[in-house]
Amino acid sequence: MAAAAALAVAAPAGLAACGGGDDGNVTLRYAFWDDNQRPAVEAMIDAFNEDHPDITVELEQNPWDDYWTALDTQLAAQSAPDVFWNHVSKFPTFADQDVLLPITEQIDQAGLDTSAYPAALYDSWAYDGEQYGLPKDWDSIALVYRIDALEAAGIDPAEIEDLEWNPDDGGSYVEFLQRLTIDADGDNALSPEFDPDNVEQYGVAMSSSTGQTDWWNYGVQNGCELQPGPFEEYTLDTPECVEAIQFTADLYNRWQVAVPATSSNQPNGGLTYEFVSAGQSATATDGSWTLSAYRDGLDEGNLAVGPLPAGPAGDGTVINGLSHAIYAGTEHPDEAWELVEFLGSEEAQRIATDLGSVWPGVSSLNQGFTDYWAGEGVDVSGFQTAAEGPNIGYPLSLNDSVYAQIAMEEFNEVWLGSRDAQEAATTVAETANAG
Amino acid sequence: MNANSNPGRRKSLHRRHLRSAAEAYAMLAPSIIGFTVFLIAPIIVVVALSFYDWNFLSDPEFVGLANYRDLAGDDRAIQSIGNTFYYVLLNIPAQTVLALLLALAMNAKIKARNAFRVIYVLPWMAMPVALGVIWRWVFDPTFGGLNKFLGLFGVDGAAWLTDSSWAMPVIASVNVWQYTGYTMLFFLAGLQAIPTQLYEAANVDGASKTYQFFKITMPLLRPAMLFVLITSVIGSFQVFDTIHVMTGGGPAGATSTLNYQIYLESFTQRSAGYASMLAVILFGIIAAITLLQVLFFRKRTVYDFS
Repeated sequence: MAAAAALAVAAPAGLAACGGGDDGNVTLRYAFWDDNQRPAVEAMIDAFNEDHPDITVELEQNPWDDYWTALDTQLAAQSAPDVFWNHVSKFPTFADQDVLLPITEQIDQAGLDTSAYPAALYDSWAYDGEQYGLPKDWDSIALVYRIDALEAAGIDPAEIEDLEWNPDDGGSYVEFLQRLTIDADGDNALSPEFDPDNVEQYGVAMSSSTGQTDWWNYGVQNGCELQPGPFEEYTLDTPECVEAIQFTADLYNRWQVAVPATSSNQPNGGLTYEFVSAGQSATATDGSWTLSAYRDGLDEGNLAVGPLPAGPAGDGTVINGLSHAIYAGTEHPDEAWELVEFLGSEEAQRIATDLGSVWPGVSSLNQGFTDYWAGEGVDVSGFQTAAEGPNIGYPLSLNDSVYAQIAMEEFNEVWLGSRDAQEAATTVAETANAG
Repeated sequence: MNANSNPGRRKSLHRRHLRSAAEAYAMLAPSIIGFTVFLIAPIIVVVALSFYDWNFLSDPEFVGLANYRDLAGDDRAIQSIGNTFYYVLLNIPAQTVLALLLALAMNAKIKARNAFRVIYVLPWMAMPVALGVIWRWVFDPTFGGLNKFLGLFGVDGAAWLTDSSWAMPVIASVNVWQYTGYTMLFFLAGLQAIPTQLYEAANVDGASKTYQFFKITMPLLRPAMLFVLITSVIGSFQVFDTIHVMTGGGPAGATSTLNYQIYLESFTQRSAGYASMLAVILFGIIAAITLLQVLFFRKRTVYDFS
């Protein structure tokens, strides 16, 4: 039966899986999703080939959503790429189902100095005592904004450093966003003349299918824990979390300072950088990996990054990172490890960093990323200070796919104002914990 | 000439028969192989998988009828079956009537008739995914074209794609827009196959245009109608791409049809066995409805116009 089922999905995959080695050469398939990072990926492979001319690396690129469905079918057909980008939310199930090659031994034998990576980042790729990846990069969430929008509203960017929110009157953060929310007559949301049905520019844009770039951040700032520890139950129905969810909903519906959820709800709504580039929003809470999309969408010198506001429990952001995984069924485990070892090295990550691609997994290279963006006229240190402060990572769970689906659906309704925050949080926690 | 009187000739005829049969099979082989590999085999696998629990990553586990039993308690899947029928009811009558009216208009002697025929088929030729992006902008309640336009007349447009009562009618209307021109082509071909003498005779007899439409055009269009209804109803039950790019099944599952639910279960939840069960259910529904249509039309259809 397994064979028949595998055959059924193998048919299309098998047609695509040609290549292989001739004359002792080895071909590795390497899969990734982010188009913004393609130049960096290609540059790193070129560098790899200087030392490994006998290994050909074929790139396979799919956008985020298709990437995971394609990978699942390829794994089912036992023809997955030899090396592929891995994500913390997807990693536990893959490791649990034995489709990833453990690299603990290889790391020992190569004598890698794993302290080159932030410990939390390195440890997030461990499962059941085995290591399954070397950190490729890290990311955090910050407030990205248009300088011209702040200037027009007469706001000094330095104010952003001290913004605070609270669930009662919104605090200075909501007031800041109200001054940036402007209707067709030029009145801002603090003015008695303000017309909320005719807004030309909103204060902030948020669009996240998981919570990573929106309410999880308000959650950390309010003392909310999505789960008490790795692989424990989801606890997003606690008062601290529900308050953060409610505050996010308030930005949409009570204060009306956010790009409406009717336009930004995922999976099909607009993305934050689209709203900011189009001038429909003055700021956005977004991840460091999207920087180049903002740069490309805005006039030179108009992009800036500041810290997120502080909440009742202080500062906080969501951090995350990616790694390179090796497929357990690869025919070339040694060559695949050579590629993964290289991609995790300072040499390779320096290439990506110097292209301004992503914050590097190797800590010593962080300055290179900051320097690149300083050269583009953007101070990106907000991401780094955020990451060095209080933060949470992605919840680690074997039930991530259940969480992802139910959370998007329930919280979309909360953002639309048609569902109670507590009820939604309870439903999400119960459904996700039931698996 | 009496072929039977010549045994040698009969033999060569027989051989020629055999050879032409072999040729025919050889020509059919590619499509038979394709049919078996890409249709029959997957159907068998899906039916078999519906009795298994499978997450793509480890070996499937036989669970008997458990997937079928679970369906009874799965509100979302049952809602998706209802959504599917709702979509078909919104889609098919509107699309069919509009296509027929368009075909009648395109069959009349009007100026630039061929240009119109091309224009109406264009939406069908466009990529549904690309269209989805455009339509999403049109229906965006805050920044979109439709509500800006309605605003000119002081009308407050709805939140089309995130309002659970509007989302499905909007999806259906996009698909009506996309497929009406294509459907029209079949009606047009059907109309052009109707001999003009029938209308001439009816005119001589003094029959009104309306009477001619119901007594000549409609009955003789039945083969076209049968084909159009069967193919468009099947297509309608299988709607996927428009939903995927416009609403992703939302809000709160309001536009998740059975086919979309199959996608969500298999590719976001890794429940390949359960999704296969849903696929078997969809297959059964489509087969039953197609059979009903054929039975309904069989006694009422004339294929020979002469």
